[in-house]
This record gives sequence, C-alpha cells and structure tokens, in this order.
Amino acid sequence: MASREKELSALPQTSDAPRGQLSELAGRLIYPFLHGEPPKPQTPTGFYTDTTVCIGCKACEVACKQWNQLPSDGFNWSGNSYDNTNELSATTWRHVKFIEQFSHEAPGTPASEGTSSNEQALNRWLMMSDHCKHCLAAPCHQACPTGAIIQNEFENVYIQADICNGCSCCVAACPFGVITRSDMGGHSHKCTLCYDRQRDGLEPACAKACPTQSIHFGPVEELREQARKRVEELHQRGVPQAYLYGDAPTETYSEMHSFYLLVDRPSVYGLPDAPFNPWLHMAGDYVRSIAGGLAAIAVLLLVVFLLKP
Amino acid sequence: MHENSRPQQAFTEPPLPETGTEGYENMPVTKVPGWHGIIAWDALLNGMATGLFLAAAVSELAAPAVFMHVAKIAYPVALVLLLVDLGLLVLDLGDPLRFHHMLRVFKPGSPMSVGTWSLTIFSLPLTAAAGLSLLALLGFDFEWARILAVVAGLLPGFGSAAYKGVLLSTNAQPGWKDARWLGGYLTNSALLMGCAELLVLSALMGQPQATAILRTAFIVLLVLNVIPMGLLFANLQPTHAQLYTREQQWRAGALIAVGTLIPLGLMLFNGGLLFILVAVIFLLAESWFIRFLYVKIPHTSPLEVRSGE
Repeated sequence: MASREKELSALPQTSDAPRGQLSELAGRLIYPFLHGEPPKPQTPTGFYTDTTVCIGCKACEVACKQWNQLPSDGFNWSGNSYDNTNELSATTWRHVKFIEQFSHEAPGTPASEGTSSNEQALNRWLMMSDHCKHCLAAPCHQACPTGAIIQNEFENVYIQADICNGCSCCVAACPFGVITRSDMGGHSHKCTLCYDRQRDGLEPACAKACPTQSIHFGPVEELREQARKRVEELHQRGVPQAYLYGDAPTETYSEMHSFYLLVDRPSVYGLPDAPFNPWLHMAGDYVRSIAGGLAAIAVLLLVVFLLKP
Repeated sequence: MHENSRPQQAFTEPPLPETGTEGYENMPVTKVPGWHGIIAWDALLNGMATGLFLAAAVSELAAPAVFMHVAKIAYPVALVLLLVDLGLLVLDLGDPLRFHHMLRVFKPGSPMSVGTWSLTIFSLPLTAAAGLSLLALLGFDFEWARILAVVAGLLPGFGSAAYKGVLLSTNAQPGWKDARWLGGYLTNSALLMGCAELLVLSALMGQPQATAILRTAFIVLLVLNVIPMGLLFANLQPTHAQLYTREQQWRAGALIAVGTLIPLGLMLFNGGLLFILVAVIFLLAESWFIRFLYVKIPHTSPLEVRSGE
C-alpha cells in the first residue's frame, strides 16, 4: 500500500497546470519561502484521556488510521498482552497500551469486594490510548530548523508535511518518543489532532469513535476542569491513586494539551515519570561550547605571540 | 465444524513473539533518530574544516609574516573539507532535495537552525578567502580583500564549530541528554585538529618557523583538550556503565589514551615531518573514535553489547 501511495502521489494531478522542468525546479526552490497569512487564533483545544474507562477496543486506532489514510503496519505478534501495535510511529498516531497487573499467587483471580486497595492493584488491567501530547512548549517545535512544526490556531503541535525535510531533530527532541521519520518520503509524521476536522468544526476521529468516552476532546480549560472533577470523584469512590498527568506545568516541563488520568506511576504506562525539556540545558551548553573554543584560541594566540620572531 | 471456524490456511501465520516482554516499564521511551556513522564523519569533518580555518586565520592575523604562506593553502583545504561535510549533512536528510528548506526560517532556539545559518554564512567568506588565496598563488594578489574575507569568516566559522555539540546534547536521547560538556569538547577539539592540520601543511611546505610555533601550540592544545574530554566522559559514565562491561570501557579508554599520548610523545620527542604525520593521524583517528562512540549511544542496546559486542 505504501508503494502504491508513492506511485499515486507522483502522478500529475488534474488540478495542476502543466509545467516545464525549469518552472518545476523554480517552484520547488521558491515554494517553501512563500509564507501564508497565519489564521486567527482560536480557543486552545486538546485531549483528556481517562484511562480508567478505556476498554482497549482499539476503535481509536482504527478511526485514526481510517480518517488520516494511514497505511497498515502489518501484523506483528508482540507477546506483550493484547498490544500488537507496539509503538507510535509515522503511520500509527494512536497506540492502545495494555498492562496486566495480576498476582502470580492466584493468576486470574478477580479482586473481590472488600479487598484492600493494595490487593486490588495486583489484579487489574490498565489500558491507555497513547498519542502526541501536544506540549505547550514542545521540544519538537523548538528543535525544528525548517519551521515545518508549528503551533496552529488551536495551539496544537502540527507538522507541515510539505515543508519537513526529514532532518530528524524533532525525533531526537521528543521525550515521549512520539515523532518518527517515515521510510516512505523521509518526512516526520505524528498526530495532527485532526486539524482538518477541527477546521470544519468536527471533533477528532479517535474521540468520535471512542465508545466509552475515555477520549475527551474540547477546549483545554474545560477539559482540565472536567478531569479534576473526575479525579475528585474517583478519590471519593475509593481510588486514591488517581491523578492527572500533564495537565499542569512542572519545573522541568510545560503543560500538555493532551493529558491523562492515570492510576499508577507514569512509567507503568510507558511515560517518563518526570519529563524534561532538553532546552533547559541549551544556554549552558552553548556557554561551555564557546568557552571550549575560546580557551583553545587563547592558547594558540599566546603561543604565537610568545614564539614569533 | 462451521466453515468460518476452520483454520484459515490461506493466511500467513503471524510471526511468533521473539521475547516475552511484558509491560512498558523497561522499554525505551524515546525514539532514536536515524543518525548513524555519517553523523560521526560529519562531526569530524565539521571540526576539521572550521578548526583549520580558525587556526589559520588566528595565526595569520597574529603573525602574518610567519603564517601567510601556509594560510593561503589552508583556506582552500578547509573549503574542500567543508564541502564534503555539507554533502554528508544533505545526504543524511530524509528528503535531501529539500535541504534548502532549512533556510526558510531562522530560529535561534534551534541549534540545527543556528548551525545551518552559520555554515551557510561561513561558506561565503571561506570561499572568497580560498579563491583569493589561489589567485594570489597564481600571481593575482588582492591582499586586502583576502584579509577582509578571513576576518569576516571568523564569527560564522566559530559558530559553525560551536553549534554541533549543542545540537547533539540538546535532545531527549539517553546519554546524549546528559552530555553537558560535548559542545566544550567538540569546539576545543576542532581547534586542536585545525592546529594539527596547519602543522602538517607547514611541515609539508617547509616552513620551519611556522612549524616550530605550531608544534608547541599543538602540544599545549593536546593537553588542554584532555580537560573537556575528561568532563565529557564523566557526563557519559553512567550511560556507558549501562551499555558496556567494565572491560569494554577500559578498552575504549585505553584506545582514547593512546590517541592522546602517542601524538604527545611523538611531538615532544621529534618535530620531523614523519613524526608530525603519524601524530596527526593518531589524533584524527582518536577524534573520530570519540565521535563514533558518542553517536552510537542511543543505537546501542545493553543486551546486544553485553552478549558479545
């Protein structure tokens, strides 16, 4: 399918005016430098994913693939519970994770009423639909040297595929391992938060397809309010370990426009326990880099002045 | 048996899982960018090109009577090295035909953007200095213009040397994100390599005064370079301890020590052409090895290494 898509995209489009080789080349050279008018800012939107109601149906994965016309990745049996998707990639922008937490002493025994929360924790499934976090100060956005990665009018992190040249700086920068460079075309891709649907007033395909309302879409402020109420509710219902991940900034990372309600440590879900924005080190790294060079130049100058005739 | 419940022989059986990995706690969170050996060569050639230019320019401006002749050869050599380096950078892109997209924006917060602009601006005075140097050798001397080009190249040349370490340390990759002294080491190493190359050129051209001064500078810079190198390896020690056995670490350390001590010993012992050539070859091999070792970190799985390199 991938090769077929490549074939199709290479065909001349009926809407394209016929162009000679020279104008084609000129177009390729000039086109990226043409900057359009930025759209008017809209209310920031995002996702709030309540993992406690996720049933692992993967409808979100399917809806994402279908709407965004993403090719199949084949079928690989991972041996990791029901997770045969394995990871987010350039062609998989939603990934449902499965975590089996069952006591080895009594495998498969469901937790009965009245058991302590510790015992309950040993006998449960955790499921989580993972995707791009749409960080407010996104390292991928900061790293991108072409300006292909932008924050669009909804404050979502969006990759302009026609600008990306596949330098992979964004791949190296993302602390969540979201962005991947595609083997087909060589450009980076990730969740767009269904930018095209949002512009038409529709909710993202994954949120629309979610049968349990684990994936909530809407204005970020409203989602945060809703999520905090849900955490309080869970605490009152005897789930004291419920908390929000990414809803508020920390000392080392900005808030995320896609945040999660979790009931175990972030690393259990394959998320960094304390995400760190690499840009916090940049100024110091430049200082050390410049100091290293200046010290060498000073030594060279000193030797030349001391030994020259 | 119902038709649909029979084994579907027409379908290919999915491959069996290779490992029994469960959960996500021990899985790497970040994605490795497709930067391999080509980047180690890029880091080496970047240092060789910018270092040679800076060493030649600083020496020539400080003692023109001694270094002018060797500098006129050094600039064209630096240009050739830079062109090869730029070729590698373009080839490493996912879509090399879009290399010029790097120039559609300038982002001071993106080390790659700073580097691209520094290299682009640096290439102009370097080309002018190289061209005017060659013209001078042919008898068409435009001395003031050549010196002007050399002075104009100093700042972007330094920027081109200084950005590389920051680019490879300002990211979320395991090991790389902790390499606070990479920039300090790479910039210092660029000047060291530049001094070594200039020393070879002056020895080949039979310039005794320049050779004597550069030999002393080379010895001092070799010793000075041990400081940022040591600090870099102190940064990387926890990562190396996870990736390599103690024996493997000792072996790598011994190779690096040899790459410093042999050139140092040779230069202290004798300043003849053969000794200079061997010393510089050892230095360049060591410099490449350190860069290769660094670039390899995110690609290295602890299990792979421990089970037999």
